[in-house]
Amino acid sequence: MSRWLAACVVTLVCGCAAPAVERGSPAQARLAEAEARAVALARSGDYAGAARFYGEALRIATSLENADAIAANAVNLSIVEQWLGRDAQARAALAAVLDEPRAAFSERRKTQAELRRAILEAALGNLGAAEVWAGEAERRCAASCEYAAAIFNVRAQLALDSGRSAEAARLAGAALERARGDAGRPEAANALRTLGRARTAAGDPSRALEPLRQALEIDRALGDPRKILADLTELARAADSAGDAQAARGYKERGLAVSRAINDGRSAAETEVLLRR
Amino acid sequence: MSVALPPGRFTRLVLKVNVFLLIALALGAAFMGLVAYKQGWFVRQSPLHFVTLNALGITKGMPVKLHGFTIGQVSELKLAEAGVDVQLSIVSQYLRRIPQGSYARHAREAGVIGTAVIDIVPGQGTMPLAEGSVIRFEPARGIAEIIDEFRRQAVPAFNEVKQAMSQVGRSGEDLTAILAALRAEVAQLPATHRAVRKLVEEATKTTTELNQQAGATLAATERVAHGVERALPALSEKLTHSIDSIDAAALQLKRTGEEAQATLRSARPLLDHGEVAAREAGDVLSAAKRVWPLSDTFKETTDGMLPIDSFEAQGKGRLR
Repeated sequence: MSRWLAACVVTLVCGCAAPAVERGSPAQARLAEAEARAVALARSGDYAGAARFYGEALRIATSLENADAIAANAVNLSIVEQWLGRDAQARAALAAVLDEPRAAFSERRKTQAELRRAILEAALGNLGAAEVWAGEAERRCAASCEYAAAIFNVRAQLALDSGRSAEAARLAGAALERARGDAGRPEAANALRTLGRARTAAGDPSRALEPLRQALEIDRALGDPRKILADLTELARAADSAGDAQAARGYKERGLAVSRAINDGRSAAETEVLLRR
Repeated sequence: MSVALPPGRFTRLVLKVNVFLLIALALGAAFMGLVAYKQGWFVRQSPLHFVTLNALGITKGMPVKLHGFTIGQVSELKLAEAGVDVQLSIVSQYLRRIPQGSYARHAREAGVIGTAVIDIVPGQGTMPLAEGSVIRFEPARGIAEIIDEFRRQAVPAFNEVKQAMSQVGRSGEDLTAILAALRAEVAQLPATHRAVRKLVEEATKTTTELNQQAGATLAATERVAHGVERALPALSEKLTHSIDSIDAAALQLKRTGEEAQATLRSARPLLDHGEVAAREAGDVLSAAKRVWPLSDTFKETTDGMLPIDSFEAQGKGRLR
């Protein structure tokens, strides 16, 4: 019996065995530390501090010729810079990946960088450039790529902004199909919102209400006030277009409350304009 | 009876008469030319006009002056629809000195009396008047108008003077009372003089007493100073002791600081060891997280990437 017990213990110990972690050089340690600090600062809402550490991490990664770290920190830096409203710096950060054709970046990192560039250009209203970069990302991204839903969503928004509501609805549907699982819930909500907007734009506001309500449910579960505000604004617009003034007023008032709560002066002004209509 | 004329007396008489007549004609022409020159017939003139309701006092040939300098004359007066059209002939070379906006007025060289002239008052324009322009005219004020204006301005002043004079008349009775009071005051002046002298004497006496008191005060101050002088060495000694104590305390502080520095220096390896230990503990924890029974529990959801969200494409990313 004791022999069997000893054998079981040895088997268990062997099964639990794991390779030792390589300590790495001081520069690598500094890189890991800068990345960890940047992530912590970004989570705590200190985006300026996060940008500083992402920049530092990018510099160290470049000195180490660590392609994967360069790309990851460049993409993260571009995201934080955009959150800070520094669009030019956000675009410049991506140049570390997109303007270095000889660097050995993985396809995944290249897709991330191209998608980010498309998002940036779309946010700046450069629809043509955004289309090009979204096309590049889509070409690189396989059908089951983890960013397929985001790419389709960006393309759907571009189509909507260009006045092609039918194509926008089709692309949003495609994005919704690919946004599965917990990881895909934010993109699913984005797809539903874009679908609702496309239907409102196409003159079918009554059919826009359902996807917008679903988007609102998901966004409330995810806890992103910006998206909740966007959903309520679109719902108010759709209800207004559908002739349901009372429902529209309710959505507008909710949107106004959210807007005031997140201290978003610009959106509050927009919502107040909507309320006065 | 016939008178015998001397021979040759009337010879070439026709020639002589003709020469005389020619010279007389030449002299007459020269005189005429001189007169014409003096009248300005050879100078080019430019007309200017003004219209007035009443041309009384304006005569043909009246000089036209600018800044008191004659620049032309009144050449013609014609009855027109709106009154009398007066034409001025201005020497053309002076016309450029009359700017637009200028007007004419009827004036006299010495104010109310003197030769009547047409005075051109220059305007504020930059360009000169064109030939034949019609300008504004300001007629001269007559004696009656001047007197009327004087009366209009003087009457209120006269009224005020009259009012003041009547007030003075009314206050005549008060003046008598004032003079009586003044006389009474003057009568009391000797008594006042005596009182002032008494006051001065008392003031002198008080000053003497004050001097004596000040002497006593000075003596007291001297005594205090003497006391301070005696106390100072003791105080100085105490201060020296205090400074020595402070010096000793500072020295002690310095020693303490050096000891603290040495302690920190010796603690540095300990801290380094602590950091290494913490890092190793982190490694152990990381390894533990990857080990089979725990690996599912601590599975990392991301690779350190921030979310790439297509929502940012709407330009609302900065409003997080």
